[in-house]
Amino acid sequence: MVIRVLKVVEVCSRVEGHGNINVYLNNQKDEISHVNFEIGFFRGFENILIGKKLLDVPRITSRICGLCHASQAIVSCKAIEEIYELEPTEQSILLRKLLMTGELIKSHSMHFFFQSFPDLLKLFNKGQKSLSLYELIKYDPQLTTRFYELIKIGNEIDKMFGGRSVHLITPIPGGIVYIPSRKNLIMAKKYIQKAILNLDWIIEKFIELFSTQTPPIEFNLLNPTFLGLHNQGNYDRYSGILGIQKQHQKIENFFEKDYSQYFNRDPELRGINFNDKENILVGPLARNHIIDHYPLDKISNFVSYFKKHWHNNVLYSNFVRLLEMYVESHKALDILDNQHLNNRERLPSLNSSKNLEGIGVVEAPRGTLMHHYYINDDNTIKQVKLFIATEINIPLINEMITNYAVELYKKHDIDMIKEEIQLMIRAFDPCISCATH
Amino acid sequence: MKLSFSVLSLTGCSGCISTLIALDIFPQFLERTKIVYFPFISDEKNIKNCDVALIEGCISEENQINVIKNIRKSAKKVYALGSCAAFGGILSLSEKRKAEPIFNFIEVDGIIPGCPPPSKLLGNCLIKLIENKEIELSEKNLCASCPLNGSLHLNSKNQIIKYFPSPDEIISPKENSDCFLKKGILCLGPITREGCEHKCIEEGIPCEGCMGPVSKTYFANVINYLSLINLSKELINYKGIFYRFSKPKFKW
Repeated sequence: MVIRVLKVVEVCSRVEGHGNINVYLNNQKDEISHVNFEIGFFRGFENILIGKKLLDVPRITSRICGLCHASQAIVSCKAIEEIYELEPTEQSILLRKLLMTGELIKSHSMHFFFQSFPDLLKLFNKGQKSLSLYELIKYDPQLTTRFYELIKIGNEIDKMFGGRSVHLITPIPGGIVYIPSRKNLIMAKKYIQKAILNLDWIIEKFIELFSTQTPPIEFNLLNPTFLGLHNQGNYDRYSGILGIQKQHQKIENFFEKDYSQYFNRDPELRGINFNDKENILVGPLARNHIIDHYPLDKISNFVSYFKKHWHNNVLYSNFVRLLEMYVESHKALDILDNQHLNNRERLPSLNSSKNLEGIGVVEAPRGTLMHHYYINDDNTIKQVKLFIATEINIPLINEMITNYAVELYKKHDIDMIKEEIQLMIRAFDPCISCATH
Repeated sequence: MKLSFSVLSLTGCSGCISTLIALDIFPQFLERTKIVYFPFISDEKNIKNCDVALIEGCISEENQINVIKNIRKSAKKVYALGSCAAFGGILSLSEKRKAEPIFNFIEVDGIIPGCPPPSKLLGNCLIKLIENKEIELSEKNLCASCPLNGSLHLNSKNQIIKYFPSPDEIISPKENSDCFLKKGILCLGPITREGCEHKCIEEGIPCEGCMGPVSKTYFANVINYLSLINLSKELINYKGIFYRFSKPKFKW
């Protein structure tokens, strides 16, 4: 079989980072053999971290990604705290959750508005050209303003509690070096209340625009296995237990320390290997499957507008992103009322390490994120394994875009296919910065 | 007349672009300019002629050199957005990968430093660029306006034993305003450009140098600084403190 490789896209547009798409054509039959969404190169953070002192690690791992930076730093702190057998104070945990919420609001709204919304309009108004950037911001000025506000609110929450909005200063192993003032808390509350008002409007709008539509079946998920954190069935991206669910089967729960029974990686090689050959999905849609319900009555009302055929479609993740921002904004209001939040507590000292390795796990906006550190006797890093959400999703993305491209190629040319494939890839919200760690 | 802009990334984390999009003035930035190329948020596939190009990220791959050479040809002005494009950035810590600033390959009209660039600085620079004016950066180091009131404590008798305070020792500058160096903690303020509003210092954490050097003779500044302080042997052997955001240059 003669396979010809066509690099059809050098830089995927409206995707975070640099991904390219290669189409592998079978010359003899003039059909597509497979399509790969590929990440050009690795930066090698696993190597950079070797020899680093533990207090230095979170501020380096933060630099893996400018969108999921809070998750990258916080998961790193959790792994280091396991090495020291330290439990951060209630106050620090609450502040970390606020930082992760700020990050999620900013990341989800940037993706939804600039990257996904034009695709949804194109898909559900057949034949319509994709909106340009300037057409998008003029499409519905109220929607645009509300998304600008959400991005800003996420940004301000992280700036307030993290010291700055990207590559936060305050998360360190042991806790958060920041005690919010009363004024901060009042301000943060105002921001979050505004976020909720905006989200109420946006969710209604989403329902109005799309709930009566039928999403294209090509975007239905191919029976993946879902992976995500949950806290006794509740939505919780900071603490909890990992759950893995094969289609229609019971959720199997496991602690992060036992991850190697399910998946592993070679720090020198690309990709994460799952013991079962199933394709895995992490991220908003996986969390949606793993948890029992969201802790807000209003959500079931919102969800009821979408018939069952939506729930297994990757385009539904756009709606789930809105729901997650909504749920976390409400949780943030509770946190801001928590009396532990402005305790004056000192952080613990990091005197003697107790373990030679530590694992941390959180749910980043794009899915399960885990760091596993092995240390030397002098408390420096010996080896690192990073498990990054987008890397986990790539085999599933590739299978779906291949199937889609094979079908499309029967009727259309490569130019059309490359546009459509990018649209499908964007629906997964890949974070290439993270994936090129 | 609206100026046309391109915004693009090389090897980096997209943190500079996410900082840009979250700026208060971002909506005005879109309104008052014409965006011709910005793959993060727009479908335009080809690099077009423009007045200003903002480049985020360092050069780590051969093929990126051609990309920026094309940008240089098509843009009247080119600015390095963030410390990766300006100095090489965090990838400088890697012993295996290249992390070159863009000015190693093309002429650059200015830099907007920081990891990420501080919002206020970036906002001010953007306004200047929209109005077709030059960016002006402070030529002072971080100590010039440090909130730790006590004067810079350069005393070679005092050994510097830590690169980061122990979590239980971190205190707000309001409680103890001694220079980090006096406490035996290394701070890169003396050899780092100001403009970040001392965000780290205000949380009780010393400067790690993300704003980059004040002058181009950073290598000389580091040598000079090292001659004035007394670093512990452990810190002397610890890699990646001084060149966290840029690789040392041995050419003068």
